[in-house]
Amino acid sequence: MAEGSGYSLSLQARLALLTAVLLSICLGAAGLVLDRAFNAAVLASVEQQLRAVAHGLEGVAEESGNQLALRPDLGEPRLSQPDSGLYAFVDTVADGTIWRSPSSVTSPGNIGRAPPISRRPAPGEYYFGVAPGQNIPRFVLAYTVVWETVSGEFTFWILADQAPYRAEATALRRYAVIGFGSAAAVFLLMQLAALRWGMAPIRRMARRIRGLEAGTRGDIGSDYPKELLGVAANVNRFAAYERGNRDRYRRAMDDLAHSLKTPLAVLRNAGGEATGATGDLFREQVARMQTVIDHQLSRAGAIRSALPAHSIPAMPVAARIVRALERAYAEKGMTVTVEKSPLAVRVDERDLMEMLGNIIENAFKYGRRRVRISAASTERGVRISVEDDGPGIAEARRELVLQRGARGDVESAGQGIGLAAAAEISASYDGRLRIATSASLGGAALHLMLPAPR
Amino acid sequence: MRLLIVEDEDLLAAQVDRFLRDHDFVVDIARDGEVGLYQAREFDYAAAVVDLGLPKLDGMALIEALRGEGSRVPILILTARGNWQDKVRGLEAGADDYLTKPFHMEELLARINVLIRRAAGYASAVVERGPLSLDTASKEVRVAGARVELTDYEHRMLEYFAMNPSRVISRAELTDHLYDQDFERESNVIEVLLGRLRRKLDPDGKLRPIRTVRGQGYRFTLGADG
Repeated sequence: MAEGSGYSLSLQARLALLTAVLLSICLGAAGLVLDRAFNAAVLASVEQQLRAVAHGLEGVAEESGNQLALRPDLGEPRLSQPDSGLYAFVDTVADGTIWRSPSSVTSPGNIGRAPPISRRPAPGEYYFGVAPGQNIPRFVLAYTVVWETVSGEFTFWILADQAPYRAEATALRRYAVIGFGSAAAVFLLMQLAALRWGMAPIRRMARRIRGLEAGTRGDIGSDYPKELLGVAANVNRFAAYERGNRDRYRRAMDDLAHSLKTPLAVLRNAGGEATGATGDLFREQVARMQTVIDHQLSRAGAIRSALPAHSIPAMPVAARIVRALERAYAEKGMTVTVEKSPLAVRVDERDLMEMLGNIIENAFKYGRRRVRISAASTERGVRISVEDDGPGIAEARRELVLQRGARGDVESAGQGIGLAAAAEISASYDGRLRIATSASLGGAALHLMLPAPR
Repeated sequence: MRLLIVEDEDLLAAQVDRFLRDHDFVVDIARDGEVGLYQAREFDYAAAVVDLGLPKLDGMALIEALRGEGSRVPILILTARGNWQDKVRGLEAGADDYLTKPFHMEELLARINVLIRRAAGYASAVVERGPLSLDTASKEVRVAGARVELTDYEHRMLEYFAMNPSRVISRAELTDHLYDQDFERESNVIEVLLGRLRRKLDPDGKLRPIRTVRGQGYRFTLGADG
């Protein structure tokens, strides 16, 4: 199969298929040999039986006149029953049939005449085989004797229907098939179980590689059998390389955006002096460029390779931001309550700071006098709530506020994209940012959902 | 009032310089962190605007050094790096506010005014000292409700006095904050300006807003207790 051509049987299916084929060939051959051996045994047994019948008839034969006659006590009851399936007759080359068993009298067909076998056996010899020229399959045994007192060679013919023997053979074959089939099935099941057990490390590896893709793991570990250790090491190296690449990409995006900001500041300030339509166009385009850069920067910030292995308590980070903001917003004299909580979140500290910074600054900006920050554990993770006593955010605008900057439109230029950036970063952690109204303070309530530690 | 701008981007520094001069500030520009630190140590500034990404000595180290030496000059961080880790670190290092590039000049001006007012202990944009009211945003001056028209330099002088109330201010300090360095220090321009300002604020000679402290300088006493 050419590389990358798509469809490929699973290793387990391959091994199972191979086993099934090998098993069928072996069991088939064994069955064939067994069948032949059985057939040979049956034929030998039939011949012995028919010889016994012939010798029995020989025993009841006696001289009568110048001819041979058989006494009626034949010994073998089936010879006396019509259509019993066992028939006998005695003939000579000169006189033809001189005796026939009562069982053959009513039987149709050719019983009573010598079957067209190639030659009669010589005196003292036996012939055994399948009787030719019969309407139903029969075995035939011929035995020729020379009588001391009666002249001529007498041939005793014993014919037996094959059906009973065939039935026996069929039954035996059926038992053989059932027995062999069951053995094969049990063997295949055991083989499958063994394969599952043997393949477990590969499945574990596949599961972890999916985790790698989903960003829930940083590597696939190294607890594998030695046959897989090389592959695992290569995958881990590749993952580390990928992670490095993403970090480099993130840094490059960051550097690019930041190095554009100073010239943009120059352009914006120069544009402030321009008048007329050109000035407007200039300012509008500069604003647009800024929006695009801000948005791309927040997206670059949201590029992550994996959830961090460690978690950090959220409230101390919030408290640190509050202390810093209290300096910048000193003249507002805000009263800020940061609830003491040990709850930790599984988020990179830099990202947590970015999200909380934007959300808490929003509260400092729009709150009047009070801000409250609290944390709660929920089913889906940890919820950090930042509430203020400001005017709040109208329900109709909430969606817009969280998506601002995403379209790079001029309308949103100049307005902060902080909350949208926080929402985007939280989404990269499978979390979310929700805007509501604070029940206790009356202003905006921003609820940030983040993953809890494992 | 004299401001220190530490910014290595020539064009941006020039724009900021011109804009702030148009708004009655005296501006010193430092092109790297070392010069910035030297200037801040040597001269008395009403506020400093510091870029974080600077050659020779980065802005964060400059701020830490100044605060470590006990300087209380209000500092505004001006940075392209708008991430919160840097913002929080800058504020923790001792900056008073930050502004992310690109920015509106008006925003920069407003932030600088707030920092200067805050350092003088005023919470509102309108400074009230006794019958005098001085709007730092609109530059409007009123005495007992009546509007007083001042020239640029008169206004600069009044604002400097208002931002440094009850403190004796030397003639040299006034000169530093009102004029560029190349100003002829020996002239009597300051006395002439002061005389005009006194007459405009207090035509009747009853308020006596600015008193002369013999051999030391001047003191703004309006609205002060006693």
